[in-house]
Amino acid sequence: MDHTSDPGALRYVIDPRRLDLVEEFRASPLGVHSPELRKLLARMRWGKPEGRLVLIVLEPGKAWRLSRIPNRRGDRMPFVDDRVLTSLVEAEWHVFKLRWQEMTGTTLPAEISGDL
Amino acid sequence: MIYKTNEYLGYPDRISVPAGEAVRFQLSSKRPSVKVEVLRLRCGDVDASGPGFKYEVMASPLDGEHACLDQPIRPGSNAVIDHDGALVPTGGHWCFGAYVYPTRIADNAKAVLGNWCERSARGYALELDEEGHLVLVLGQASGAPARFTLDVKLRPRVWAFVSCALDLAQGSVTLSLIVPADGVRPAAACSKSFALPQTPALDSGLPFLIAAHHVNGDRQYTSHFDGKIESPRVFSCPLDAEALRVFDGRLRTGVSDAGLVAFWDFSNGISSLSIKDLSPNNLHGSLRQLPRRGVTGFHWSGSVHDWRLSPQEYAAIHFHSDDIYDCEWQTTCTLDVPAHWRSGVYALRLTSGGNNPDRDCESYVTFFVTPGRASRRADLVVVASVATYLAYANSALRLYQVHFETLMEHVLWLPQDDVFMQENPEIGQSTYDCHVDGSGRAYSSWLRPILNMRPRGYWFNLVNDTHILDWLEEKGIAYDLITDVELDREGARALAPYRVMMTPTHPEYFSFSMMNAIMAYQNAGGRHISMGGNAFYWRCGFHPAAPAALEVRRGMAGTRTWESEPGEVHLAGTGEPGSLWRHSGFAPQKLVGVGFSAMINDTCGYYLRTAESEDARVAFTFEGTGRHEKFGDFGFRYNGAVGSEIDRYDLELGTPPHALRIATSEGLGAGALPTPEEFRTVVDGLDGTQNALVRADMVFFETAHGGAVFATGSITYGMSLGHNNYDNNISTITLNVVNRFLDPRPFVMPAKT
Repeated sequence: MDHTSDPGALRYVIDPRRLDLVEEFRASPLGVHSPELRKLLARMRWGKPEGRLVLIVLEPGKAWRLSRIPNRRGDRMPFVDDRVLTSLVEAEWHVFKLRWQEMTGTTLPAEISGDL
Repeated sequence: MIYKTNEYLGYPDRISVPAGEAVRFQLSSKRPSVKVEVLRLRCGDVDASGPGFKYEVMASPLDGEHACLDQPIRPGSNAVIDHDGALVPTGGHWCFGAYVYPTRIADNAKAVLGNWCERSARGYALELDEEGHLVLVLGQASGAPARFTLDVKLRPRVWAFVSCALDLAQGSVTLSLIVPADGVRPAAACSKSFALPQTPALDSGLPFLIAAHHVNGDRQYTSHFDGKIESPRVFSCPLDAEALRVFDGRLRTGVSDAGLVAFWDFSNGISSLSIKDLSPNNLHGSLRQLPRRGVTGFHWSGSVHDWRLSPQEYAAIHFHSDDIYDCEWQTTCTLDVPAHWRSGVYALRLTSGGNNPDRDCESYVTFFVTPGRASRRADLVVVASVATYLAYANSALRLYQVHFETLMEHVLWLPQDDVFMQENPEIGQSTYDCHVDGSGRAYSSWLRPILNMRPRGYWFNLVNDTHILDWLEEKGIAYDLITDVELDREGARALAPYRVMMTPTHPEYFSFSMMNAIMAYQNAGGRHISMGGNAFYWRCGFHPAAPAALEVRRGMAGTRTWESEPGEVHLAGTGEPGSLWRHSGFAPQKLVGVGFSAMINDTCGYYLRTAESEDARVAFTFEGTGRHEKFGDFGFRYNGAVGSEIDRYDLELGTPPHALRIATSEGLGAGALPTPEEFRTVVDGLDGTQNALVRADMVFFETAHGGAVFATGSITYGMSLGHNNYDNNISTITLNVVNRFLDPRPFVMPAKT
């Protein structure tokens, strides 16, 4: 095993109280981020591919929908929800919120969890 | 519109075809017919925010509807031995076995050797069941096949000797497993005897197979073995399992071994697709779907890493259930390329025909037309990076890599082609991906559909390269196009007609012939405009016996998604070491002045001129631009001319001493990270905010006999050319270089070199 291929290679623990990092991300999902937010994002994005949230391109540069990598090669890739995302920034924020819920078990407060 | 890009799939029999010659297309669809047109691509990028999808429709005899078959892909490699009944047990005793090193035990039975046919339920074979138990399966004259199973399981990635001794006279069979000692684990062995059925039916009437069973009599195979097999042998005399195992197969003059029916020595002909039988029966065989040879065997000592030095230590073949070299589809249509067609990137456009076509159904098969014998040559030739397109062909990095989303620093966007690959893995993946058993894919061939080498496909490599063609067309610069396959096959002769060669955005994979062809061309006065980044990086080869396949061995260095197993860095096809050209003494710097330094996955950068750029030798480059401009702080898709993968100047690695570093990158950040061979110890300060080696350098130098080289050192450079309707400083300096390089006035190397 090596770092590149070890799903457990990142040890950062997401602190559900760090809503400041959520706000920083929300302000600029695809921007340049602080070192602490970079660590959080690296942890969110790391892991075994199976089950990973991904965007399926409906129209290049225009429309995307959310799916997950299946457990087995050859299995179908269904969409996980009905939402058609029309910007990558919006998509990034949508996925961030889903992962925050999955990884911290907490729901973001309404005042910082709305759409961009 | 959401396009369906995989309703039609296909591939050409040859990836490049000279004008005036023929190319055959193999197409497949669940739809009964396909409408075919031929396009010459100017820009294959459908993203509306770039230059746009631009092409010329070429009228050809292929235009119109063609009947189309639904042609399956059946992956999985194995050996086939025709035997005229010689490998059907007769008489009293029949003993057979092999060393095995299973790399995946799962899903279904994995055949080791035999002639078993699933449909007829005739024949016999050794196999491993879904849990790794050794099984003998054999047919009966009536009723279900008999299966005899050893209680003990084989373990993945542990060498074992499996065997079977049939005593047809006594009606018994003994299955045996011998696991030689390894590391702290002592040797182990077990065996078990069973009574044979009354009327075994051991003759399927079909060839003997290694690593697969027959599905039927139509050359279809199943139960492909994942793992290594070494030295299969068959005897027609009684031998206990250990005696069968230690028979070493070596021939002695004037001696024949009693009872020996066959002994396949895979160390013989490693660079071929033939397997040799050392017995007097000459039961030689052939390999299909390109399993990996030149792999360490049971007897590998660790004292050599090159199979050519001790082939006996490399007497194994690594078979994979998902090996695919040739889909073997029937030809759908043949294009006689008119002699007057311009060379370039071409594609079949495949759509649904009829009176009411589905407008969202649009697929492509890309091929390259090169100048014909009678074609008048342009002064400039673009060399398309087919080896690189193959290395990345059907890349599933976005689907299956642990690190990839962190690397890209955004949620991964999967084109529909990725979804297709997940749902149809038999299409075969790239040399960046791993087989289903976790071992890296060493081969990638064009005799199968390649989804990311098409318009509407993922842009990396081919689609990006067409941005350069688009710019050449826009500027009215006459050019020919050849591919690096011609460099591989014809060497420097392929470049000789041209004053200037141009390599595109990412010519990363180079064979020995390709590298030497360019060096010879440059030294003979040729001019080379190296437009890309991470260029001339991997040492690879086309397989001499499977010439549509590129072979890549990753080695243990470089930016890599898998590593070679210990001792398996040398190519099976040519024997030469794989891995990086840098580690074969021919770093990219030696060829074009710059070589791979870093990957950039956040913000792209731009260039600033250096003091060296004021040298009169390069004054032509910057005409019409300002001394302190930011060069390329813009660009389509990447937003900067310095990005994706970048290369730097290094005298120690071979940059010619007289080379001028005329510009260098600025603006790179924490997401700019060095390639692993650029540091020997991990320390703080490796990223682009601190690391001075994380940079792109723009380099110029003269070569012998009036030649010269200009290198940009960045993949994204080409996507800045079209910015502001092609009016920008990257376009300006590129045009300056092209014009000067096309000018026959010789370049002169400075006196002190």
